[in-house]
Amino acid sequence: MPLVIAPQNRELQIIRIAADDKTKKHLESLGIIVNGKVTVLSSAGGSVVCKISEGRIALDGNLSVKIFVR
Amino acid sequence: MKRFALAGNPNCGKTTLFNSLTGSTAHVGNWPGVTVDKREGVYKKCAEPISIVDLPGIYSLSPYTSEEIIARNYILDQKPDCVINIVDATNLERNLYLTTQILEMDVPMVIALNMMDAVEKNGDKIDANELEKRLGVPVVKISALRNKNLNELMDKAYNESKKQRRGYSVLEECDIAHLIADVKTALTGENVANPLFHAVKLVEGDELEVSMHKDVLGIVDEFKKTYQNEIFGDDFEALIADGRYKYISKRFAPVFQRKSKEKFTLTKSDKADKVLTHKIWGIPIFLLILFAIFHLTFSEDFLFLGAIFGLPSLADLGLADQLTGETLSYSAKWLSVIYDGGVMSPGVIINNLWNEIMVGELFGWIQGLVENSNMSPWAIGLINNGIIDGVGAVLSFLPPILVLFLFFSILEDSGYMARIAFILDRMFRRFGLSGRAFMPMIMGFGCSVPAMINTRTLADDKERTATIRVIPFFSCGAKLPILTAIAGAMVMAFGAGNADLLTFEMYVLGIAVAVISVLLMRSTSLKGETPPFIMELPAYHAPQFKNLMLHLWDKTKHFIKKAFTIILASTIVIWLLTHFSFSWKLLEDEQVNESILANIAIFLQPLFTPLGFGSQLGEYGWVFVVAAISGLIAKENVIGTFATLAACLSAVAGFDFNGLVLDAADGVDAVRAIITATKITAPALISFIAFNMTTIPCFAAVGAAKGELQNKKRFNWTLMFWLASSYIVGSAVYTIGSWWWTCFVWAAVIAVTVIVIVMYNKGVFKRSKSV
Repeated sequence: MPLVIAPQNRELQIIRIAADDKTKKHLESLGIIVNGKVTVLSSAGGSVVCKISEGRIALDGNLSVKIFVR
Repeated sequence: MKRFALAGNPNCGKTTLFNSLTGSTAHVGNWPGVTVDKREGVYKKCAEPISIVDLPGIYSLSPYTSEEIIARNYILDQKPDCVINIVDATNLERNLYLTTQILEMDVPMVIALNMMDAVEKNGDKIDANELEKRLGVPVVKISALRNKNLNELMDKAYNESKKQRRGYSVLEECDIAHLIADVKTALTGENVANPLFHAVKLVEGDELEVSMHKDVLGIVDEFKKTYQNEIFGDDFEALIADGRYKYISKRFAPVFQRKSKEKFTLTKSDKADKVLTHKIWGIPIFLLILFAIFHLTFSEDFLFLGAIFGLPSLADLGLADQLTGETLSYSAKWLSVIYDGGVMSPGVIINNLWNEIMVGELFGWIQGLVENSNMSPWAIGLINNGIIDGVGAVLSFLPPILVLFLFFSILEDSGYMARIAFILDRMFRRFGLSGRAFMPMIMGFGCSVPAMINTRTLADDKERTATIRVIPFFSCGAKLPILTAIAGAMVMAFGAGNADLLTFEMYVLGIAVAVISVLLMRSTSLKGETPPFIMELPAYHAPQFKNLMLHLWDKTKHFIKKAFTIILASTIVIWLLTHFSFSWKLLEDEQVNESILANIAIFLQPLFTPLGFGSQLGEYGWVFVVAAISGLIAKENVIGTFATLAACLSAVAGFDFNGLVLDAADGVDAVRAIITATKITAPALISFIAFNMTTIPCFAAVGAAKGELQNKKRFNWTLMFWLASSYIVGSAVYTIGSWWWTCFVWAAVIAVTVIVIVMYNKGVFKRSKSV
């Protein structure tokens, strides 16, 4: 399912990132990679704040629908 | 002298470490030269002095933003003697991602394990010796905040800088290790420096590298065709990122021993975010904070105590003149610093103290000395009316600028600024910008130059250009004097309105113009998709007093330097040009209309007629033209120029100020004198403010824009854009203010423009479809 509707406060695994190369590269450097772990802390109107290892990353609504988790 | 570079993620405490290491020797490169954008300083406690360079905070060496390119190129091309990689120990895995990339370069490096105090406070442990063994480079536990172990760090780094280090890659256990090795051999054969680093980046397919090493590209492509990974397909970039993270979590992460076994807990910072980034309350809370900041800085009725309890003004108490508001006794004057019908806010108290002591007493005393000396009259005029009035008028605005800047520094240092960008992102998206663009914009309220440099954090070129163009509309500290002086004078001269409110409205006008311009650009010349918003939200923490003071000190130095260089020079030039005629005859103050400057300005005057401060103003109307033009050098000049010119105009007989003695070194009084002399109307004055707010900014900002845009054509268009916007906004304000029915004409023009743009965009859409 896309990150935007994922349950909060639960560790999930990223299975696919459907973004363009440049964005993907930036996400990778922040630790958002396929097979990586992510926890959604809050989501409001599409925007999502999630926890990646110990960092808190905010993503906008267009992006949070392109990251698929399990 | 040896050079060490500080590299690390944003928010890892890099700036704090830099400040602790370099102390007072730190300096920022000249802004106008923009290529110089690095902070440098000297560390003196080693065997020899060491130059320290603070690189921009980066997450990776793959260029995503231009900041990352700067840091990457610095390490590769400038070859520092040692790289100190600062690693935030509280977020070890993410921070080590950058480390694994620097490890691939042939440069000596040391790891500074920062925020160790926070880790230990949580009861967690990090085995630094084990990490050092596994990484193969020295690891030093430090706390930049508490100055712990910094000397040890520097000694280790100094030791390392004497050695050679060969890069090595954590990808050696990865499937594609032999491909990297092959490319590396090919690059070594061609004598490329840092072959391993370039080899990995080439395999990743990094754009910059691909264009740099076209010759070896063949091998890479050949191999890539034969390789298929089941998860990543042919996405080598993701494959390598995965390889790094896998290695990090397998080999490095175990050195971190968590105290609590529980996998996931909400931190205090997360709980605060539940409220501060709430989908409904987030924006109201932000607006409240913004209002509080302006209230604390500018309000003359703190917490509205005066209005609520109906407190009497000093004049009501018989301590001040009913008509002029001048205080009647010395003690009343000091009382007026903190109270007049309401308690002053802290910002205003500081401002009043500064202006009573510094500008009032000290400059008044110097002017008295000069007046009574036996210098020739022209020299006295130049010093008192030219230099001291001009520079004094500018210096009198130092306190509000610093107070406002202090508040913004607090927001930034506490980590709240990143949240504001996040909650505003959804709103910004409607105008075609991402929330990231908010940061440079709000910095624009301080100064356009660092704001424009800050646009480097924006990844999209078109978004960057649009943001740079509207930054000057976020009225900067130097424009504040124009606002407060003219607003203050208008309230006194026309006896209507409220100076605070007027100032606030002008800020809003600037923001509105910015929003409209962005919408316009993003739907015409700078079309493009709004870039995604990806931002780290650092944990909240109390801002550090020392860092705040360093920020303030930098700002003060910058301002004072400007006041005594470019502004001092401008005031002297303006004084000379107003006191000489074309035949180089020295003029009396009364003959100011015959001066060189007056003649040039009178020639240009008709240009400004549609804006309300052109030909219609009569004899002395040219002063506005001079002020507007001098503002192109530095916006502080506008009020400085008014002060210098007001001193001349006051000498021309026939002004009636109700018996009030004007002090030209006070910006408000200077503007009042000019209002009386030119009989300018209120709409024209507001148009003048609007013009200055939206026109070409100062020299420094224009230089910054030029450097940041890096495209001559785009820069020229930017200058044209500023001229056009100020002309349109100024004339709209003037005509609507003078003849209200013209608002229908403007509305019609706007409607037609919108329709044309929409039609044109649809037309283009159709054509591209048919092709």
